[in-house]
Amino acid sequence: MSCPWRDKVAQYVDNELDAAAQQQFSAHLGDCRECTAAVNEQMELKKALRLAGHNFSAPPELHASVYRMIHPPKAVSPWWKWVMAPVCVILVGVIGYLEFPRSHPDPMMARLVDQHVTNLASANPVDVISQDIHTVKPWFQGKLPFTFNLPELAGSDFKLDGAKVAYAEQRPGAELWYEAGLHKISVFIFQARGTEDKTVASHDLSFNVTRWRQGGLEYYLVTDASQDEAGKLVQLFKSANR
Amino acid sequence: MARLQDSEFEKLALPLLDPLYNFARWLSGDADEARDLVQEAFVKALKGFGSFQEGTNFRAWIFRILRNTFLTSRTGLEHRTTEQEDETGFSQVASSADSPELDLIRRADIELVRRAIAQLSLAFREVLLLADIEEMKYQEVAEALNIPIGTVMSRLARARKQVREYIFETAGVKS
Repeated sequence: MSCPWRDKVAQYVDNELDAAAQQQFSAHLGDCRECTAAVNEQMELKKALRLAGHNFSAPPELHASVYRMIHPPKAVSPWWKWVMAPVCVILVGVIGYLEFPRSHPDPMMARLVDQHVTNLASANPVDVISQDIHTVKPWFQGKLPFTFNLPELAGSDFKLDGAKVAYAEQRPGAELWYEAGLHKISVFIFQARGTEDKTVASHDLSFNVTRWRQGGLEYYLVTDASQDEAGKLVQLFKSANR
Repeated sequence: MARLQDSEFEKLALPLLDPLYNFARWLSGDADEARDLVQEAFVKALKGFGSFQEGTNFRAWIFRILRNTFLTSRTGLEHRTTEQEDETGFSQVASSADSPELDLIRRADIELVRRAIAQLSLAFREVLLLADIEEMKYQEVAEALNIPIGTVMSRLARARKQVREYIFETAGVKS
């Protein structure tokens, strides 16, 4: 090795000399057989290494797993969860309402409608047969832990047929049996459990059901008569128990 | 923000999957191990991408992660304990113009060159792979391997010399 440039061969081949030195070395190669031979050999070696070295490609499953790593299955962001939660609750509510339109808000109403229908089919719907409120009301003495007033029906379309003790949700109550023309009306009276005083009317299986609370008692009126007709008797009861 | 970072990572890292796998195969010598190494390196890189400084060399950064992953693997630890690094200085490859060696290199069988790469010690092989196969600059190799640039140059010279000697010896020609 005699040429002073000889130790720059590798850097020249690797393009690691600065631009000026790279140019100078190129010029030098025109005059130096030793450096030219060394450069040629190193370039050939680099080419051979490059060809031989690129030997392996990532297998498809590695490509796939790396892609999955960068693009994990999308999880719902917490922001969406918070938004979606009430939406889901509302949806469930709407579906529930649409799917079960006949599910009654007050199970007592459904039971008492059943009781009214049973009475309609019964040959003896009452235990005390009387049109006189002063006979019917005392009949409940000792049978019920509460008392109530029955409305005077003189001048009205209603007629009292009688009464019996009814049971619902393990509590005794009064069941009064009225007529309004050809229509039958049941009025059930129980001790109130809730605190809601609002009058609620429902139209269940074509029966009009009205529920109200008054004086610690809970009244249910069930009939196939019109809502107007039912309303009149409700008002008579409300007036009698003020 | 995380999405943006992921897409940026994808743009930078996915084109390097094949080179990284190639490097891992050359280091470990085993397909399954190479696949695991690359996967692990990608997990680490993805996790650490937030701390990657924009403007620095991503290729050097991710190759460095892969190389460190290899060094802490079973095969990597074996290499480190059994190999003694030959740290002789920047030595020259003797050559003469139009030498028979030049023809030999030109005609060298690709499998012969591969064997020549494979027989190198880890320290020489990794420098050669990054500089001559991945065509990294010395500075980039130094960053990827976390060694001084002078060491890159001396190891590269030694690695090339050993490859050349292996080819000549195998072909029955003394360098």
